[in-house]
Amino acid sequence: MTSLTLDQHQDESRRAQKQADRWLIAGTILMGTLVLGPLGLPVFCRGILLLRKAQRGGLSVRPMMVTLIGYVIILDAAINSIGWGLDIFANHALITRTIFTAWGNLMDGGYFWHYNELWIGGAGAPGEKAWIIVCIAVVFPMRIAAAIGFLQMRRWGHQWMIVTCWFGLIAWMGYILNMTMYADVRYAGVAFPVLGWWLYNIFYITPFLAIPYLHTVNREIFSD
Amino acid sequence: MSEKSAEVDASPELPLGTTPPFARMHKWLKRGLFVCLFGLVIEGALTVPALAVWYGWPSLSLTEICSELMKVRYSDDTLECTQPYPLSGPPFGGAPEAAGQQTAQDRWGIQPVPGYPRVGFRELVHIHEDRQAAGNG
Repeated sequence: MTSLTLDQHQDESRRAQKQADRWLIAGTILMGTLVLGPLGLPVFCRGILLLRKAQRGGLSVRPMMVTLIGYVIILDAAINSIGWGLDIFANHALITRTIFTAWGNLMDGGYFWHYNELWIGGAGAPGEKAWIIVCIAVVFPMRIAAAIGFLQMRRWGHQWMIVTCWFGLIAWMGYILNMTMYADVRYAGVAFPVLGWWLYNIFYITPFLAIPYLHTVNREIFSD
Repeated sequence: MSEKSAEVDASPELPLGTTPPFARMHKWLKRGLFVCLFGLVIEGALTVPALAVWYGWPSLSLTEICSELMKVRYSDDTLECTQPYPLSGPPFGGAPEAAGQQTAQDRWGIQPVPGYPRVGFRELVHIHEDRQAAGNG
């Protein structure tokens, strides 16, 4: 039985990691468009399987949890940014006007009430624009950058994932409390108020699943 | 003969970075993340078709749905969605489509309360057809 030298092992591991990452990145990009998600999911899963195969084959690849957290956080940020980006920059496109106001009428009146009456267009609910802008300009870009560093197994990536995922506590609490203060605007005349919103948005809690891992993972696996 | 140290994280079953005290938590976090991943993708893909069907597609075109929702939103049956909207509109400085509207029914105050009615499953189709029949009759 031949065994690999250290160099060979490292080359083999790097090659396997790169191969898996190609599928993972392609899958995440497709899923990040929201509408092409079903195409992206099998592509992404292939990357996961390649990574698992490499791991079981004894190669030194990135831990599955790091991979999963990194890419899912990027996906979460991308999907939010696409939606809110449309609200800021494309609020008079037909698809935005129709689908956003439809979503607003179904689940969150903030996206229906006086939609496209503000000078900047888009959602007019009190406080909503501020949260949209701070999230797509600050929170999500920082989180994506941190996730990229995290996926590269960098120490700064791990540290900044902790910071930017904790941002999420502020973002969620601030956003929901703002909705609560103006609950009538957000929920009066809506088909599936409150529960509809929560059932739809619960899947965006990914940063809160990442935080416990980030605080309990052995930090030595991240290098400078 | 040596006792197996409780601190050994070289256990072959544990992923890199996961120590025994946190193994179970990491396992459940991983499962939660997969649930979120599949949830996000599936609901993301279903959002546009589900909304379109709920609000009357294909009986109504997207532009008609847009117009009907605008009529409900601003309580004004004469409003239509201008399609395509000029590129000079927001955020590039031009006026938004509802600029200066006066017909929206709200109870104003420190916490406004909208006055539009709830729209049910494909109710926009009936509203649209009734209005067309009333217009022709």
